[in-house]
Amino acid sequence: MRKIPIAETLIEKMLFIFTVAGSLVIFFVIFYIFSNGLPVLKASGLSFFTTGGWDGQFTSAWTAAPGQEIWRFGAVELIAGTLLTTGGALLVAGLLGMGCAVFLAEFCPPRLRRPVEACVRLLAGIPPVIYGVVGYTTVVPLVQSLISDQLALEMVRICVLDGTSLLAGIMVLGIMITPIFVILATDALETVPLAYKAASLALGVSHWRTIVKIMIPVARRGILAGGIMAAGMAAGEFIAMAMVAGGVAFLPNPAHGLLFFLEPVRTLAANVFINSEVLGKANMESALFACASVILFICIIFSLLAQLINRPNLKGGRSR
Amino acid sequence: MKREMGVGRLFCWLSGILTTSICLGILIYIAVRGAPALNWDFISKSPEMSLLGDGLAGGILSPLLGTLGLVTLGMLLALPWAAAMAVYYAEYAGDNWPAYILRIGNDVLAGVPTIVIALFGLVIFSYPELSFLSIKIEGVENGKAFGRSYLVASITMAVMVLPYVTKSVEEAIMAVSHTYREAAYALGVSKWRTIQKVVLPAAYRGIVSGAVLGVGRIASDVAIVWFCLGATITYSGPENWWQPQNWAATLRSAGNTLSSYIYYASPVGEGNNADRAYGAALVLILMILLLNAVANYVSRLSRIKSRLFNARGAECDGENIIEDIPSRI
Repeated sequence: MRKIPIAETLIEKMLFIFTVAGSLVIFFVIFYIFSNGLPVLKASGLSFFTTGGWDGQFTSAWTAAPGQEIWRFGAVELIAGTLLTTGGALLVAGLLGMGCAVFLAEFCPPRLRRPVEACVRLLAGIPPVIYGVVGYTTVVPLVQSLISDQLALEMVRICVLDGTSLLAGIMVLGIMITPIFVILATDALETVPLAYKAASLALGVSHWRTIVKIMIPVARRGILAGGIMAAGMAAGEFIAMAMVAGGVAFLPNPAHGLLFFLEPVRTLAANVFINSEVLGKANMESALFACASVILFICIIFSLLAQLINRPNLKGGRSR
Repeated sequence: MKREMGVGRLFCWLSGILTTSICLGILIYIAVRGAPALNWDFISKSPEMSLLGDGLAGGILSPLLGTLGLVTLGMLLALPWAAAMAVYYAEYAGDNWPAYILRIGNDVLAGVPTIVIALFGLVIFSYPELSFLSIKIEGVENGKAFGRSYLVASITMAVMVLPYVTKSVEEAIMAVSHTYREAAYALGVSKWRTIQKVVLPAAYRGIVSGAVLGVGRIASDVAIVWFCLGATITYSGPENWWQPQNWAATLRSAGNTLSSYIYYASPVGEGNNADRAYGAALVLILMILLLNAVANYVSRLSRIKSRLFNARGAECDGENIIEDIPSRI
């Protein structure tokens, strides 16, 4: 057997070093974000997740005398805001995106297919900040028109109703994550073996029943993974949320009935962005990193879950 | 039964139409609102703060150049790195558990939001040892140095896009037919030379689309611009940035990009000048559209070429016909 030339092994080693470096970045990210957020997470303990009043705490932490720094913060409004907007957006994306994916995979006439796909891909490529601007000038006034002056006047003691609200946030975020879900779900539907569909059709089952009973169940893993990835994207979205969901850390009160959706929220990611001017003050900086830790944790769980569901050795329609 | 099918089909058609019309609606809305702001002055002047009137004057020259510079620098760092990783994953790493762990690391990094990566960049570049990368440094009094510059931002951007570009290039390399490699090996060509001369050229369509993906993400990002580039609205570097002796200083200065300018000029930001925000948004969208069109053209070009020069094209045609059957039933 011929010896492998030195150059070849050298190149392989170099590529290996690059790969390890690239894959280790995530460990550095996790280490630095968590270690910077730890002081506040440790000082606050569980109350970080159960108590609220973020804005008030931040103001008092900003004006606190030297030596009396506040290390305890409560972020329940922010966490609730993240969960509510993500959940709502996922609902919108699930409905609209599932319909669109089935349309693309099954009903779309071949001539329309390319333009519709191009539109979906383009929608995925529009920068978040543009969604924010467009949402602020179109969706927010729309929501505002739902709120009468009298109602706003009544509520002004509790919160300002100016159209930037949970509803606007859900609508904009839902439209933002729909395309990514459509792309992944269409891929999953298309990996369903043709024979399954043909067998079902040959038994005289209608096209729609074939889709509902055969194709979607077979492709469920890929679809679920697509939904999880879309949720991860939604949880980390900050700029559009900072613009359309309202900048106030407010916990919408379900007791207000439908008004619940018209009240402002602030997500964890938007909070890091909005409060970024406090960088340099150790305790408040650590509070921001604590928020980032929570987002990072959620996103890592989502990524791993999507990986697990979409494992190659499992049966079922996988995306990719 | 019949009605159930009709309702389902209607729902799918409606969602397809709604998604398409939202996309077109956003594009048309931006075009209509942004077009009046576009003129030569808007493109060729840098933004200025004016205390009178609408607060924000001038054009978008420095954000535009900032976006272009950041995209170029970021991709110069990310593309070779991602290509090396993709080659390793696709050609050298087998199906064993160390490779699996490396891949997981990559996949998890792809799911990390940009705002977290931006904070990570902020921490890394607040070590005083790395402050030589930027001129504008804040927070020195606390033993930290928040360095903010094009160099810092482009390194962070490279980390952000790395997993996406890697994935795209890796898929392209995987898709190269195995017969290509076997033919090269049969001629006695070494592995690396095969990759270099056969596999990578055959996969360049995927490399281009990976690069386009990366460019789009860099151009649309705000978080890293905000935390690592400073997002100053006026340019702070040397006056004559185009002279070679000033390049290093320019790269070490803070700046802004189109995306941060859009935020600044939006009704939410301090500039509060929606017309200019829409003008900048239109320019950004046009850049992204142009980029996608170029990528599309490149991929179509190579498809035509492959149809002309080898049998693979004919093979693809055959596949297409088989794939079309379901829609013809």
